[in-house]
Parts: sequence; C-alpha cells; structure tokens
Amino acid sequence: MGIPSVSPSVARDVTEHAKPPRAVFLPFMMGHHFGVPFHKQLQRRVLMEMLAELESATESGSIRDLDLSWAQARREGKEIEARLASAGG
Amino acid sequence: MAPSDSSPSKQLRPGLWQVVNDRYPGSMITKEDLVPLAALKKPLSECRVAFLSTSGVQPKGSLRFDTAHPVGDFTFRRVPSESPVEDLEIHQLKYPTFGAERDLNVIFPIERLRELRDEGVIGALNKSFYTFIGYNMDPERVERTLARDVAEALVEDQVDIALAAPA
Amino acid sequence: MSLPYLKKAVAEDDRETLIRYVRLHLGDGDDAAGSKEIDKAWVEALKPLLELPETDRGFIESTLAERDHATLCHLFFYLHLYLVRHSGEWIHDGPF
Repeated sequence: MGIPSVSPSVARDVTEHAKPPRAVFLPFMMGHHFGVPFHKQLQRRVLMEMLAELESATESGSIRDLDLSWAQARREGKEIEARLASAGG
Repeated sequence: MAPSDSSPSKQLRPGLWQVVNDRYPGSMITKEDLVPLAALKKPLSECRVAFLSTSGVQPKGSLRFDTAHPVGDFTFRRVPSESPVEDLEIHQLKYPTFGAERDLNVIFPIERLRELRDEGVIGALNKSFYTFIGYNMDPERVERTLARDVAEALVEDQVDIALAAPA
Repeated sequence: MSLPYLKKAVAEDDRETLIRYVRLHLGDGDDAAGSKEIDKAWVEALKPLLELPETDRGFIESTLAERDHATLCHLFFYLHLYLVRHSGEWIHDGPF
C-alpha cells in the first residue's frame, strides 16, 4: 500500500521530527537542496542518491547522510561558472 | 534513528526545529509514528515519477501563492513536467532563493529529472509535478486538506514514485 | 505560532502574544525586524500623500463599504508587503 517516497533534507533535526519514510541528508543551505547553480553533476547526484534510497532503505524513518559539503559544492559551482563565463565570452 | 546531535557540525543551521518552534510555538511538526515503508513495485527504469515541492514554484500566469496570508496557503499548483524553466517562477518568502533565481534546478530539478527520464534511469515523469508553499501555521489542516489533495492526485495519476522535496 | 496558539491568544485577549506574532510573521522570524517593517510600510504609505495628489476616494469608499471584513483584512496584509516592496528595501528571501 502507498506510493514509495523519498525526501532530500538540509535540516536533519526537522526531518527527524517529521519522520518521512525515507530521506537523504545534505549539509546544504536552505533553498539549495540540489546544490548550486549550473552544477548539473551535483544536482543529478542528489537525485540519484534519492532514487538509490528508494531501492535500499529497509526501515521507515531512515535518514542517510551523504558525503557532501556545502563549501565544496560552492567551490565547484564557482569553477563551473568561471568556465561557463570564459566559454561564453 | 540517530539523534540529531550525531552530526551537529554538518547541518548548516543547527537546531533549526527548536529555533522555529520557539518563535512560532506549535508550528513545527513532530510525528510519533513511522509511516509504513511502501515498497517499490518495479524497477526504477519502469517507474513513473512525480516531484512534489514546497518551493512555491509555479507556472507563470497561474494564481500566485498567497504569501501574504498570516496562516498560509492550502492550495497546490500543477507544474507540467515538460515546462521550460523560463515559464516558471517562485512565489514564497521564507527560504533563500538566490541560487534558484539563477538556476531553478537547485530547488526544482526539472531539467535533471527530464535527463534521467531521457537516459532511461527512470521510466517516465508524471505529466504534473505538484507544488505549494512551506509557510503554514496550521499543520493539522495542511494534513487534512493540502496533503490529502496532493495524495489523491498522485493516486489518480498512478504514480509509482514520489520525490517529496522541502525547501 | 500555530493556529490553536493564536486562537487561544485571541480568546484570552493576549495582546502581547498577538503583537509578537505579527512582528515575527512580517519580520521573517525576527521580532525587531518585523516592528521596523511595520513602521516602514506606514512611512511608505505616508510619503506620496504629502503632495496631496488626486486619489480615487470612490474606490476606497466602495471597497470599504462593499467588501467583506475578512477580505479587507487579507488586503491589509497584501498592502503591507506592497508598501515594503515599494520602499526598495526588501528583507524577505523570495519575491512577493
């Protein structure tokens, strides 16, 4: 019964209270659950991790921590934007 | 489940639930019961996927979300999953949108989902994604109305997977 | 503040709680910021009237007379956001 669901979370404590059936935690800024602008690979990675969680979670309420960092995401985002700017210019 | 202080350094804004609940008593949800885990019934590559979002993303020209109402907005919008991002806009006041203003995919990854569908990672995208705003002072009514309305729409659409993203 | 909490405050005429809520709501969780926002909206409403421009009094009178109380209250919240946006100093995260 029910439709399988999975959520990304940037607020682990809020997710622990709300107890969605499956979640992946990212240490990102609010409003940036899928990363930073133009970082397609990171945006895709978060979605892929969510899909993987649909297949692998065995207990409701589980939250899987992803090995990501906001500082690194921003750094990579800046590099991507610099590349895009030089290619466009 | 691991307690929240198992990774205190990792959450960018630690103790968010407590901070918000101190300011707006009773507005933050706490569930005691776990929802039974619904199992995937088929491979991902055969699944129809819907994206649900509290981001306040909506098609340009649709009635904008009521960001002024002190209790909240209990309505949702259907966002066609084939919408060009240029046809979408955000109406909400309670989360930082500086990333989304430059690339909507940081909060509403509609283009990445279309790529995953085109590559066959997932079978199909539901014709509609479902969006609403996160600000609300009546979580009980949200559950009774908005959440039920969206859940019924997903059942009617025969969705296999719901990706449910807060903002 | 959840709705039951606010309704209890109304029932008990707990003005301090209600004022705090309004400030928190309009200040995105910051009491002092909300207070400043309310003042800002009134200043914005004041400024254009100092030159005594023609205004549509008929619209104002008929709106007040013909629209229901709740709609007018709802409009008041919209006008607040309209005026603070007009000030050019927008503290909220997203667009109105």
